Amino acid sequence: MKFWRQPGFWLPLALVFLWGGIVLVLKQDTIRETTFTVMMFMALASSLNILLGYTGYVSFGHIVFFGLGGYTGFFLISEMGWPLYPAALAGGALSGVIALLVGLAVLRLRGAYFALATIGINEAARAFVSNFGPFGGATGLFVNFSAYEKYGGAGQALWTTFTFLWITTLVVLLVSYLVKHSRFGLGLQAIREDEDAAMVMGVQAPRAKTITYVISAFFPGIIGTLYFFKNGNVEPGDAFQLHMSIEMLVMVMLGGMGTVLGPMVGATAYQGLRGYLLTSPIFKDLHLAVAGLILLLIILFVPAGAVGWVRGRLPALRRVLE
Amino acid sequence: MKSWKLNAVILLTILGLLLPAAPSVFAAEKTVVIGYTASRTGKLNVEGMRQIHGLNLWIEQVNAAGGVKLPDGTVVKFAAKDYDDESKKERVQELYTKLINSDKADFLISPYSSPLADAAAVIAQQYNKIMITAGAASDSTYKKGFSLVYQAYTPASRYLTGALDLLGKLDPAAKKIAIIHEKDKFSTDVVNALKAYGESKGYQIALFEGYDSGATDFAPFINKIPADANAVMGGGHFADTSTFAKQLFEKGVKAKMVALLVAPPEPKFAELGDAAYGVIGASQWQPEAKYSAEAAKKAGIEWFGISVADFDKTYKAKFKEEPSYHSAGGYVAGLIVEYAIKKAGSTETAKVKKVLDEMNLMTFYGHLKFDNSPKAHGLQVAHEMVYTQWQKKDGKLVNQIVWPEAAQTAKAINYFPR
Repeated sequence: MKFWRQPGFWLPLALVFLWGGIVLVLKQDTIRETTFTVMMFMALASSLNILLGYTGYVSFGHIVFFGLGGYTGFFLISEMGWPLYPAALAGGALSGVIALLVGLAVLRLRGAYFALATIGINEAARAFVSNFGPFGGATGLFVNFSAYEKYGGAGQALWTTFTFLWITTLVVLLVSYLVKHSRFGLGLQAIREDEDAAMVMGVQAPRAKTITYVISAFFPGIIGTLYFFKNGNVEPGDAFQLHMSIEMLVMVMLGGMGTVLGPMVGATAYQGLRGYLLTSPIFKDLHLAVAGLILLLIILFVPAGAVGWVRGRLPALRRVLE
Repeated sequence: MKSWKLNAVILLTILGLLLPAAPSVFAAEKTVVIGYTASRTGKLNVEGMRQIHGLNLWIEQVNAAGGVKLPDGTVVKFAAKDYDDESKKERVQELYTKLINSDKADFLISPYSSPLADAAAVIAQQYNKIMITAGAASDSTYKKGFSLVYQAYTPASRYLTGALDLLGKLDPAAKKIAIIHEKDKFSTDVVNALKAYGESKGYQIALFEGYDSGATDFAPFINKIPADANAVMGGGHFADTSTFAKQLFEKGVKAKMVALLVAPPEPKFAELGDAAYGVIGASQWQPEAKYSAEAAKKAGIEWFGISVADFDKTYKAKFKEEPSYHSAGGYVAGLIVEYAIKKAGSTETAKVKKVLDEMNLMTFYGHLKFDNSPKAHGLQVAHEMVYTQWQKKDGKLVNQIVWPEAAQTAKAINYFPR
């Protein structure tokens, strides 16, 4: 059956399309900013899910692609005068190339060894950038406020950045669906269940894993460029934050690993909850404790994630909740 | 009967016309909202909480004193609206946008630390809101083309240079310096300026190493300090610098001077015990500071606000803790806004900005003046650091001002020999 006839194909795309569209129509800055945070993590978690959810490879250091891609894109904007769009795409492309090179080496590792190696890569990248002169070393790079004039002023630049992120998120979800439902994706899921058996059945595991790693690294590179452009500066401490990697993993697990909709739901729930607790007059001093407790309860009682739980209980909805 | 009604109507009409023209009789009250995010949690929470205390004290005092009266009779009172940024940049822009749009903040105070302040500055500038930065010392923030961001702190480039002048006095034969610093923007800005200044003074920088933020083991760096180094300088923020100082002591470093960033001026640093003894800190302000209305008059500078003694006394009474420079930084950020509104006679951004651009003021916190050139707009050009050292008095650790000489409360002692 053609994929565009499936409700599961349209549901995540329609939700994100409508959400972003409403924000663009309403033109309210506060809503845009809140949505930017949620959508950024939605796209990051969905990118990670392409690797984690479909191949079962846990990457603890996936944020390295956000950092390296972001640094590259920001460098092209601030030092080379590139416009935002090509710079962001170049940031994504560089992340993809690095994933290709790194993947050839580390994707031979499995399980905990792979997970540990990804942490090492993140730390190595941070150490490298901290000492890399063209990227400003430990003090990083910045753009002059006047750089936003090209985009119609800072206010308009923030809207432009949001629009780009919205489109990127839609593309990530589209790619996630297409990978999952392709022959290639079936190979990945076979790797997830039993890599040796998959190879016996003819799946070229090293190549398939490397391609997946490249795809899942490309989008964080674009998102990193958008995020740092919006902030006006980038430095190593912000670009390679291990806790963001952990948060991405939590979002994927929370929503449902290996589903297209899961990371979307996980990111919305997690970031929505964090945002609410941070600004709530009742919880603002206890937000970390409350967020931790809620996460613990969800992971204890709904280990398959929200989407996985619903799919398990309501088989009729499996075609809708992909 | 008819004429009585007519007279009443005429009287009411006249009263109605006169009312708007008599604001001093019927003074309106306006609440100006000061919006900020602070590091209530996360790695910068010690510094962040002190800053919040300082700002809250200012709000309490200015409101208790009747607020600021504008020429049109409006009485301006202040209220704060803040959120926790967790010492992370991720939500800073979101929270500042919320502060401006939803909470209707009129003036902004920066988050603590330069990277967070930089992200907030983009939003402040975009919405035409004045932002006073306290705890954002990197010079680069003010070289990005912002015109509404004003720095309360002495910039990073002048943070530790005075300690070298002190070293020259303490040991004129000193030649070698070891610099070990946190690899973040602020600390790197500080030590880069320190290195250049040291070399210009003929010092040899025998070691220049950076450690990652959050580091807890400094042994590999301490082992590299040359045995004949006369001074060890650097550090970063409170948590890492405290651990660094502790490990310098445990390893028995034999330098004459140890001068570190951020942590030593904090009263909490004394909890290190003997490891704190002899450590010099670069401080934006100390309770022993000698800034006064008389000193300002002598220097021909306008004086504004609370005295040093009153700030110290009221802060201790309210928070049951010694004020640090972070506390004073929070207070003075509010004081700057108060002064500018009072002088401008308005809360409008353009009028307040004009006052800030021309401001040359002495306060309990010291001399304040901003660069108003487009190249480094808002950079603090007048405020000076003081250097403190933990010494012993009656067997107890006390923090003394040891530099500049004019502000000395005690002479500097050697870190080693003790």
